[in-house]
Amino acid sequence: MRDIVRFFDKFTFALLLLLALAGILLIYSAGHSTQETNYLKQAAWLAVSLAGFLAVFSMKLDFIFRKSFSVYVLLLVILALQLVVGHTVARTKSWFRLWGIGFQFSEFVKVPLALFLARLLARHKEIDGWAFMKVMAVILAPVALIVLQPDMGVSFILCSFIPLVILLKKVRPALLVIAFLLFALGGFAAWHSLLKPYQKERIISFLNPAQYKDSTGYHIIQSRIAIGSGGLSGKGYRKGSQSRYQFLPARHTDFIISVVGEELGFVAIGTLFFVFFLVFYRQLRFNFENDEEFYYVYLFNGLIFFQFLVNVAMAIGFFPVLGVSLPFVSYGGSSLLSFFIGEAIIFRVKISNYLA
Amino acid sequence: MYLSKRKLTPEFVKKAAVASTVFLAVAFSVLFIAFWSIQIVNNDKYKQLAIRNIMRTVELPAPRGLVVDRSGAVIAENKINFTLYLVRENVVDMEKTLARASFFSGKPVGQVRTLIDKYRQHAQFYRIPLKKNLPQGTVIFIQSRQDEFPEFEIGMEPSRTCPQAELASHVLGHLSEVSEEELAEQPSGSYRMGDAVGRSGVEKQYEPFLKGAKGSLTVIKNSVEQVQEISGEIKPQIGDTVVLTIDLRLQKYIEELMEGQSGAVGVVDLETGGILAQVSRPAFDPEVFAKEMERQEWLAISNDPRKPLQDKFLQGIYSPGSVFKIVMALAGLQESVITPETTVHCSGSQVFYDRVFHCWNPGGHGTMDLFSALENSCNIYFYNLGRKLDIDTIARYARLLGLGELSGIDLPNESSGLVPSSAWKLGTFNQRWFPGETISVAIGHGSLNVTPAQLLKLIATVALRGRMPRLHVLQRIERQGRTVREFAPEFTRVPIARENFERVVEGLFRVVNGEGTGRAARVEELDICGKTGTSQIIAKENPQYKRLTQEKRFMPHSWFVSFAPRNAPRLAVVVLIENGGDAGAIAAPMAGRIYRNYFGK
Repeated sequence: MRDIVRFFDKFTFALLLLLALAGILLIYSAGHSTQETNYLKQAAWLAVSLAGFLAVFSMKLDFIFRKSFSVYVLLLVILALQLVVGHTVARTKSWFRLWGIGFQFSEFVKVPLALFLARLLARHKEIDGWAFMKVMAVILAPVALIVLQPDMGVSFILCSFIPLVILLKKVRPALLVIAFLLFALGGFAAWHSLLKPYQKERIISFLNPAQYKDSTGYHIIQSRIAIGSGGLSGKGYRKGSQSRYQFLPARHTDFIISVVGEELGFVAIGTLFFVFFLVFYRQLRFNFENDEEFYYVYLFNGLIFFQFLVNVAMAIGFFPVLGVSLPFVSYGGSSLLSFFIGEAIIFRVKISNYLA
Repeated sequence: MYLSKRKLTPEFVKKAAVASTVFLAVAFSVLFIAFWSIQIVNNDKYKQLAIRNIMRTVELPAPRGLVVDRSGAVIAENKINFTLYLVRENVVDMEKTLARASFFSGKPVGQVRTLIDKYRQHAQFYRIPLKKNLPQGTVIFIQSRQDEFPEFEIGMEPSRTCPQAELASHVLGHLSEVSEEELAEQPSGSYRMGDAVGRSGVEKQYEPFLKGAKGSLTVIKNSVEQVQEISGEIKPQIGDTVVLTIDLRLQKYIEELMEGQSGAVGVVDLETGGILAQVSRPAFDPEVFAKEMERQEWLAISNDPRKPLQDKFLQGIYSPGSVFKIVMALAGLQESVITPETTVHCSGSQVFYDRVFHCWNPGGHGTMDLFSALENSCNIYFYNLGRKLDIDTIARYARLLGLGELSGIDLPNESSGLVPSSAWKLGTFNQRWFPGETISVAIGHGSLNVTPAQLLKLIATVALRGRMPRLHVLQRIERQGRTVREFAPEFTRVPIARENFERVVEGLFRVVNGEGTGRAARVEELDICGKTGTSQIIAKENPQYKRLTQEKRFMPHSWFVSFAPRNAPRLAVVVLIENGGDAGAIAAPMAGRIYRNYFGK
């Protein structure tokens, strides 16, 4: 036990906690003018997330990896059920209310999917046709269910596993070509049948926000104004006019980085980037005892990084507004819990290497 | 179990670590640069955009300055007026809004659409004035349902009102909305579309003083246009008070005298040159222009043959008729072609240059000297004088006495009239001047044209024996009770000997106080001097002259110019009655009543 305390990466954990606490302060600022109490809910969720972190951290890695498939399947079932009975919040059925608390189960898919994929990758020396199909099916099954909810953000983020797999494993070029063609076809079909007009508009509008300034382009324009007007040191905590006078959309969730940029300026943005960089750096570089663990650590870190990148790029209009939150910072309990659980496994992997 | 088997080499793990670190470093550098560019490089641009998001500045119109008479009686002031505004950025459904706007303003949808279209260059949050003078009922209706009509705003604004309606309307002048062309000429000017600008009279002349300074109210609004706080307010400043030389009591008396007549009256204070009364009939109500006028209403005013919009005192041009004999007498005396003793025999007609010229008295006046010629307005005497003087000498004296050029009164849109000369005829008609024409000019006919204002100035100069006053209606301009501009009386000396003026004055005295044409103007114990004039509309030579002049519209215009008292004169008056007929019978007694009223006799 003393060894656990000794080898636990307290610094990285402190960084994660810092991000989550900063998130609560930012959520408070974002909701201040409209007297929202989301920050209290987020604080409660942080407590739940830390408990979840502790629970998962105390489990045996072997057990975690072995149970990943069952959890993955269970979640698929829940997601399928949600499509039938889920609550419709803001045009999507991604929310599931249980004991008065809203759960967004699509968020919980991230960890078991990463674990199960890691297992699959470790089992195959090289990705042949059969293995590639299996990997694709495992990724695309939850993606499909989440797209149907529809939650473009989470499904898009889960798709980041595809390039990660390709980067981590040798895949035959022929398979890549086939996969690419299938995706192009699927994308084309989705564009013309599945996507609703507002979703399409979201995707195109970032190319020319001014043209869509009355709809989705408005979000991009206002977000850029918020960030740009912050300057070096910002307008001061709770003093951002874009945020305070409600020009900034989804300011406690998807556009929380715009609140940082506006109220605390480039100094805070730089600090935030540095904290994220340190987290990724420290969570990737250590000795791996086990292939599964290696794949998991890379897949999960890759997922967080991808989500971080999409969120930040979106806030400055470099990427379509897909509804992707900033990991650890944005408001959203399910997301916070999911990320802390995923991190718990990485911390556990790290420590098991020392304790072995 | 294969799970424990390590298939990954330490080299691969190390490669992955290096690759991921490089990838992270590159990605974070790109983000860092992107945010640097937005937050630091383009900071100013986004700062301005953020301010534009929340700041809304509304202009507060300034009340126009008051116009008062010499004793402070109000001629024009302001009242509160409700204006309906449209704010396009709050429009949900344009078609619905147009229908509502049409209902509220009483204008057809097409007209509202055209009006809104004029503002396409303005920002979406600009308040477009749709209708002024909104009825109280509509104001209450809209304000009580403001949440249903977020696109409409009601503004309370000052607008011009004249408590005495038509009184002194021509002096005051009228206002109308600034046009798009004017705005285009002065893009940075202080006017906005919908603002009222003085178009005539004092309203135009002293526009820069009267318009005041606009204020503004800057508020901070949120994304749904709710006002969060007021961040700045500049109070509008009322325009300056323009104090006129007009004596509203006298003005009112003369306007009543002129009721039903068509013509003009001007009264000048000889001590200062200040206009005491200036009447042009028929008149108009300046407030008609402050409202939005219906097309038919406008056509009725602008097409009225009696020209109610024209200020006949300044803009009406007429033959001076016998009034011009004053100029002839002064020219003859100064040029020494006559002396007061020079006599001419009038037999009722005389032949000049193979043509018969008539006196107005067919029986003839007998032997006339200068004084009796003026007293009786004998044409034959002045025909002979005209023959002795050439047209260019006559023109020179006419100009010296202020004819043929603007009187210089501080009011806009004045006419200059016409003093013919040989050069003028050559330049205009490319014809040489015929001496016969001079004979007509000698009794104030021919091409000669004057305004009542010019004749008032002429008679004032005679009254002052050659000191020509500058006519003016402005006494002073006050800003917050402090005088910022005051009109100092201006007199210029006319190069004609004083004794010649005295001789003419003697003649003019006899016109009223002898057996002359102006005796109807006589007032006891007030030495009024004057001269009648009859301005023919159709030539006497016209074979149908007798029949036509039975019709009112062909009757000659009647003039009477006068001043009083003879010594130390205080008042000069010009009266013009259009189609008034015999001047001695209509214009002269009217002048008499004006003196009686003014001097309390």
